[in-house]
Order: sequence, then structure tokens, then C-alpha cells
Amino acid sequence: MSVQALLDVLDRAHTGPVCSVKDWDTKVIPGKVSEKLSEHGLKGTCTPENPINTEDSLADEFWHAGFELAVDVGMLCLDTERVIKFTEEELNEAIRNAPSEVILGEGLDKVLMKARKPEDKTTPLYCAPIGIEASEDLWIPLIQGIAQHRVIDMIQGCSLKTVLGRQLRSGTPYETLAGRVQAQMHREALWRAGRPGMCATSVITSPTVYGQLGGYGVPGGYRTSDLALVLSPAELKTSYVSLHKVIHAINCGGSIFAGSSSVIGGYAGPVEGSTVAMVACALLQIAVHQSGWGSCSVIDMRYNGNCGRDAQWAISVAFQGISRNSRLLTQSVLNQVGGPCTDMLLYESAVGMMNLSASGISFSIGPRSAGGRYADYISPLECKFCAEVLKSSAGMKRSEVSELAKLLIPKYEDKLRNPPKGKSFTECFDLKTLRPTKEWLDIYLKVKNELIDLGVPLE
Amino acid sequence: MSKEETLDKLIQAIINGDEAEAKKITEDALAAGMDPLDVVKKGAVKAMDIIGEKWRRFEMFLSHVMLAADAMKSVMAVLLPKITAEQKSTFSLGRVVLGTVSGDIHDIGKNLVGTLLSVAGFEVHDIGVDIPYKDFIEKAKELNADIIAMSCLLSTSMYFQKDIIQYLEDAGLREKYYVIVGGGPVTADWTTEIGADGWGKYADDAVTVCKRLVTGGVRPPLPKPILIGE
Repeated sequence: MSVQALLDVLDRAHTGPVCSVKDWDTKVIPGKVSEKLSEHGLKGTCTPENPINTEDSLADEFWHAGFELAVDVGMLCLDTERVIKFTEEELNEAIRNAPSEVILGEGLDKVLMKARKPEDKTTPLYCAPIGIEASEDLWIPLIQGIAQHRVIDMIQGCSLKTVLGRQLRSGTPYETLAGRVQAQMHREALWRAGRPGMCATSVITSPTVYGQLGGYGVPGGYRTSDLALVLSPAELKTSYVSLHKVIHAINCGGSIFAGSSSVIGGYAGPVEGSTVAMVACALLQIAVHQSGWGSCSVIDMRYNGNCGRDAQWAISVAFQGISRNSRLLTQSVLNQVGGPCTDMLLYESAVGMMNLSASGISFSIGPRSAGGRYADYISPLECKFCAEVLKSSAGMKRSEVSELAKLLIPKYEDKLRNPPKGKSFTECFDLKTLRPTKEWLDIYLKVKNELIDLGVPLE
Repeated sequence: MSKEETLDKLIQAIINGDEAEAKKITEDALAAGMDPLDVVKKGAVKAMDIIGEKWRRFEMFLSHVMLAADAMKSVMAVLLPKITAEQKSTFSLGRVVLGTVSGDIHDIGKNLVGTLLSVAGFEVHDIGVDIPYKDFIEKAKELNADIIAMSCLLSTSMYFQKDIIQYLEDAGLREKYYVIVGGGPVTADWTTEIGADGWGKYADDAVTVCKRLVTGGVRPPLPKPILIGE
């Protein structure tokens, strides 16, 4: 991570071409994305009937279109309304200089993350859970319950609902305090789980910069061996909030994990447009935010998730394209909408995890149980299930995953817009033993056995 | 050019999001003696109906619909001074002040709601992201708005939605404005808890909620909020 590279980014955020947010959203992004789709013959290439791509040439074409989009448009800084642009050589250099493997965590909990290719037998890593809001009194047992599963490699944690009993408001001193408080709770949970050295992506309770300033790299806070989390509000946009987080991580000697999501139906338009934008977004996270990972996800605005056919197709194409054409570490998030203690959540997870694994992802963070909509609607069991499927799928052929997806997606696709809420952590787990209720365990075993019968190499 | 041809051209210009062309056609239509109310109802409103349908079929996407909504606003800016308040009430559903609350810079959900409300016939004033609660209220006062709409994607910013409602109550202004809330972590339970008047699970539900509010005949605050999609 280079201070000089960061200074270049900051300078460009002040001197780059002027562009209003409105023009960016309504003209620059849709116009340039459409242009790239036309130039590369990619319009109308999505095949919902085959939701996992198996064509290398198509993935490669999306990679080329995404790379060109990244060079042509760059990333808009919302605070200065100027565009941070890179030449083709600069972007190539940033990609070349990014790591292909990295050791994360400390002591016995260290893990090795490697760049992968589609159908790679190298095992991807899983980080759980994504920042669903959780009550303060449940936070430690919930994270402990997740970390106790050795199949899970890293911890992100949940967003705190309150801090020391007070309402936690974005951008206020409560948020600064929450950064430190969450770090302490995180350590306690990992210690209780017997995995004190697990790497964290932190600070998830930092909607503005204050949580990060209060909790990352400070005494008693998250360690600099943990990854500093920098999330942007939309693909191809950054802000001073994100850049402050980057600089704070560099100041502390830490490493950065940056990402964002494209929206199907949003600024980049149709599913093919979002796919191109995903590739560009992943590459620019490395150049703009000094991220060690090419990270991006996608959301389908019709149901605010990404386990339907179009979104799964977009994920498969984007990450096959990136992993086939670079040696980057990559990450993406699965956004399930079914809630804990429902088979829908597990079917969504199975499709998504197999897809990510077969499409060459290095690691995934999740799950977003119940769409992340409800506080405490997350449990350790679906985290374990996701990790199991992600890892066991390493080496599966995309054609096999595609056939399985065609069998599994019909089990839930008609419920994506009105999914079952399921049960909260306290309703589907015993907090004393940190074990699932019989009902939830039975659902898990039923779906797992079904997948085994279908040929998924789960243990 | 016949009246029908003019209206067809106007509809197409709005659908294409061509603000300048739509404005010019409107000005030319008025200069040619066309009835401004006809231009609204048979031109602008019809265009927005078509756009709404294309959006629902996923044939038009957010950016394009935003441009079309802007083109419509430029048309209305020409027409409104020529229309009486009584005539306006036959097609305008009401005035909405819309923004994303403090500490949150997410805009796509807000933009989508604002655009869909505009397409549906509401006059939407988008005041941006990361907006302090008093700015919502000041804008609503300035515009004599009917609805205050607050978007939020962060659970840690939801509390600011509550602050606005509390302030309206404390300032004796709650009876003046309907308040609707929405966004990823915003639920029906939260809406009820903070005393808002409406909520929809998805962005397009906002249109149904707002239409029911302004046509329901009950002044704010509603005894029970309108909840769509739970």
C-alpha cells in the first residue's frame, strides 16, 4: 500500500474532470455502460435459463468491457464532484501490484487466501456474518456461536443496534464509541470460541468514518492484522468518508478491504450493464481505495437480493472474467432474502456459494439472512452451511453447478419478493449451549442431505 | 402540425428524456393556441403512464426514468403558470419533500422513489442525502408540502427518522404533513413505533402509499400507518 499512490488519488479527487452526481448517474454511467455493451456485443447475452455461465469467451468479453469502462469513466468523488481517472497503464500496474495470495489472522487462526480460477480446486475462504444489525446483549454469543465453527475462516460481525445501551446514531460520538466497544466485544467472542487470532473485516459499525477512527488500530481496538473495511454507497463512486477510512488504515499500518455493489435496474441499467459495472468496480477498488481485493457484488432491485437467475448469472460472468484474466484476490457477497430457520435461505445459499466457488472467487462474506432487514435475524447455522457449501464446491465444474442451480432456484424464485422472515437468533438457537433448535437443525440436515443426493460433495 | 402530432412528439420527447426538446414542443404548443390542460393530460401525463409501464416491465431503468422525469418537470414548469389551482388539482397528486437522513449517503433508493413518485404525478422535491432533520422541515414549510419522505439504508441512521417526527410533534406541525419512511432496514414495526404515516417494502410501493395518503381523506397523523408489503 503506497502513500504516493494514495496522494495521487487525493490529488485527482481535487483536480480531475468536473462531473455532477446527477450527470454521473443519468448520463455518464448509463451512456458509457451502454456503449461498452454495444462495442463488445454483450447486449441481451444474459441467459436466465442457464443461470451460471459456462462460456469462457463471454466472461472474457465482459472482463475486457469492464476494464475499458474502468479506464474510460474512473470513479466519481461525491464530495468534490470530480472524477478520479487512471490511464490503462496505471490501472494495469495497480492490478499487477495487487497480491495473489495473503496470510490473514494470527497464531493458530491464520489462514492462507489465494487467487483462484474458475473450477479451481483451491479452497476459497468464508467470512461471516455480514453486518446485520444485532442487539448488544446478543452480540457476543452470536459471534461466538459463529466463530466456534472451524469451517469459518474470518469474522466481520454484526452492526451494533445500541452502544452501552444508548441509541447508536450515525456520525455522532456514539458511533466513535461504538467502534471501540465493538472491537472489545469482538475479542471477547473470539476468545470464548477459542479462536482469538481470527482475522476480522472491521469496523462494520461504522456507517461514517467515526466508527473506524474509534475502533481500528487504536489501543484496545481492532488490530492492524485485521482488514479495514471501506464500503462505498454505489459502484464507481467514492467519497471522503471512504477515503478517510483508507488513510486511517494506512496511518495505522493496516490493510484495506474495499467493495461496493452494482444494482440491476439501477444506474448501469440491465443485468449485462451491472455485470460490466461490477468488473470495473472491482478493479477500481484496488486503484482508488488501495484494496488488496477486487471486490464487488450485485443487487437486483426487484427483490433487493441476488440469488435469482439474473443476479447469479451476473456474479458468475463477472468473477469468471476477473479470475480468468488476472491473478487478483477477489471477493463477493451473497444477498439472500430468506430468513433463518427456513429452507429458502439454505437453497439460496447453496446456489450462490456453489456459483462463487466455481466462478473463481477467493473469499465471500455473508450471509445476509432475511435480506439484512431485521435485527437479530441471523444465526450461526446458516453461516456454517454457507462455508461448508462454498468450500466443498471447490473444483466443481461450472456445468455441474449450472445444472444444480436449475434444480434449486425453482424452489425459491417465486418467493424472492415476499420471502419468509424466518426466526430470530433467540428463536432458533439455544443461547446456553449455542446450538440450533431441533427445528432449525432438521431443516439444515434435510437440505444438506438433499444436496449430497444431488452430488454436491459435502461431508 | 396537427394537435395529435404535437402531443405525440411531446410524449416521445419526454420518454426519450430530452428536456430541451420537450420544453420547446410545449412552448410551441402554447404559442399555437393549444389548451395547457390538454397538453398536461394528453401529453405529459400520458408519457408518464407509458414510462411507468416500461419501468414495471423492466424495459426502462433508473437513469432513463430519471431523465424522463426531468423532461416532464421542464414541461410542467412551462405549463403550470397557465393553469388554475382548480385545474391543477385534477392531475397533480401532491407535493413531496424527499431525502436521505443524516449520516447516510446512499441515494439509489431515494432516487428511485422520487422518480416513481414523479412518474405517478407527484411534485417531488429531492433535497439530497445526509440531510439534517430540520432541513426536511424547513423545505416542507417553504413548499407547503403534503408529504415528507425519508429514506435510510443504515440502521444507525434510522433514529433520525424518529427525530423528525418528534420535532414535528413538538413544534405543533405534525398535522401539516404526512410522513413516510423507507429503506433497507426500515420495517413496518419501526414505522408504527415512530408514528410515521406510511411505509412500503419496495421503492415502487411508495407510490401506492402516497396515493392512499393524499386521497384517503384523513389528515395527518394517521391513527395507523399504511403499510404495503409486510
